[in-house]
Amino acid sequence: MNMIEAYDLSKTYRTRVRGEGLAASARAMFRPVYREVLAVQSIDLVVPPGEIVAFIGPNGAGKSTTIKMMTGILRPNSGSIRVLGLDPVRERSNLSYHIGTVFGQKSQLWFHLPPTDSFTLLGRIYDVAPGVLKKRIAMLTERFELGALLDVPVRKMSLGQRIRCEVAASLLHEPEILFLDEPTIGLDVVVKQAIRELIRDLNQEKGTTIFLTSHDAGDVEHVCRRAIVIDHGRIVLDQPVKKLKYDYLNRKIIAVRFTEKHDLKTLPGIEVQKTGGLGSRLLVDTRIRPIGEVMSWLVGSGAVADITVEDPPMEEIIATIFSSQDEGGA
Amino acid sequence: MSNGHKLHSIFTLIGLYFRVNLASAMEYRSAFMLQVFGMVLSNGSFVFFWWVAFSQIGARIGGYDFTDVMFIWAVTSSAFGTANILFANMNHISRLIISGELDTFLLQPKSVLTSVLCARTSLSAWGDLLYGFLLIALTQGADGRAWLMFFCGLVIGALLMTAVAVTAHTLTFYVGDASTLAGMSVEFIVNFCIYPKGIYAGWVQVLMATLIPATFMVHLPLQLARQFDLLLFAGLLAASAAYCSLAGFFFYRGLRRYESGNLIVTRL
Repeated sequence: MNMIEAYDLSKTYRTRVRGEGLAASARAMFRPVYREVLAVQSIDLVVPPGEIVAFIGPNGAGKSTTIKMMTGILRPNSGSIRVLGLDPVRERSNLSYHIGTVFGQKSQLWFHLPPTDSFTLLGRIYDVAPGVLKKRIAMLTERFELGALLDVPVRKMSLGQRIRCEVAASLLHEPEILFLDEPTIGLDVVVKQAIRELIRDLNQEKGTTIFLTSHDAGDVEHVCRRAIVIDHGRIVLDQPVKKLKYDYLNRKIIAVRFTEKHDLKTLPGIEVQKTGGLGSRLLVDTRIRPIGEVMSWLVGSGAVADITVEDPPMEEIIATIFSSQDEGGA
Repeated sequence: MSNGHKLHSIFTLIGLYFRVNLASAMEYRSAFMLQVFGMVLSNGSFVFFWWVAFSQIGARIGGYDFTDVMFIWAVTSSAFGTANILFANMNHISRLIISGELDTFLLQPKSVLTSVLCARTSLSAWGDLLYGFLLIALTQGADGRAWLMFFCGLVIGALLMTAVAVTAHTLTFYVGDASTLAGMSVEFIVNFCIYPKGIYAGWVQVLMATLIPATFMVHLPLQLARQFDLLLFAGLLAASAAYCSLAGFFFYRGLRRYESGNLIVTRL
């Protein structure tokens, strides 16, 4: 049985259209005008068990709306959807025993209480037997290194610590699918990496299916095996991350600062995007020039004071996908 | 799931949230004590007002004597306190709908409405609850029937107050923001609960037995405390159950129109 099956799935929002200024607001009070916004348009999607799917796209592409339809929060306007063979709207309560969710922007932990209190309450809400719950909390505490945090009120935690607790909380009832909506948003590089490792291990150890939305190309590259790109409510690309990586995630941005002024010569696969003072910004095509090679070249070019390697923003990657598709279609 | 199981599950959930909310409130012990005793003192001033009113006007106002008024005050205060201790989110449902904060509850397997209502508590409400008990102890003495009807009124009043607030807030699913209307509806109930029923005109009394169920919350319990009638008591329970069922029905109908949102949210 597939974990997720969605066919011809659509969601429309109705929003009120209002002109600028007080007069327009007054007119809209008596004669409101509505506009239909197509958030998700006829998408087809099948996710087999054990898959790690990245569901990516720019802001307003329809990622969160799709996840919310899969988890029973929103009702689709048309199409069909089954998660673990269940209808998320009609069988929402039953489905919730089998799915876990982490919304980076919404906390399920009590702000003023230590996570251990929230874990106990959530365990009871999901009808986990007290003995089993105790064992799971102990296991998750060890796996997520939460020992020192269990008695600390959530309000006193860093964002990274809170997200680790959020992920642990979503696993208390051992869900078969974990939906993660922007789990690494706002986290620093080290914590991001730790969260990514935890998600990957969870998939390998328990076979949990992962459905992840993110703005961060690193999440896709380091965690997922399959990437689905959505834009304006439509799926525009669905392929293995290996291929996506080769085709589109093959560039890195390097910001380098030297201790003294000097000129950087360009090499094939390296484009100097910006240079000024002691610093430069380079765009590297890793297919032509691997990152390690670029690092050695930079270190050999002068005394390096600071260096950072970043992925291009998701919007840029998606723009590249579109432009390559247009070229392909032309 | 049978109705018995459903009820058991709801009571268990209320108990679970109650414990967590209480623990959360205890994080700020000084604020907790201050708000509780502040509320008792604030409410206490009204006893003085009624004592002056009865000394000036006479032994009965609107058919109620001083102890009757203290009874309806005690029930109203404790019912308000109970509703706000157990179901404090009844005052915030519109905001939760508008900001998309129902997501968390929709992702859990338990009753959405019960979870929403119970997920918040009010510290000062403990003062209202305590004040009702003090008042009933001071004015009704050891009158067993008055105490029994006080407890019934407390439970029924808390449920009806919550039911009316939920019904009013549910309009947010249709009209955008009904928080002001919902706030007013609770204020109306309280106002119609704390004055003798006899001072209101006939059509207002009809309102008090329909849209603003103050009659069921305090005036019938008072009548039953003074002269018990099994049929009337059964009617009171049936009417209360009907109000609560209707509130649940309206909420779940409205929930179909829920559109969620992406605001950053924490649970307090």
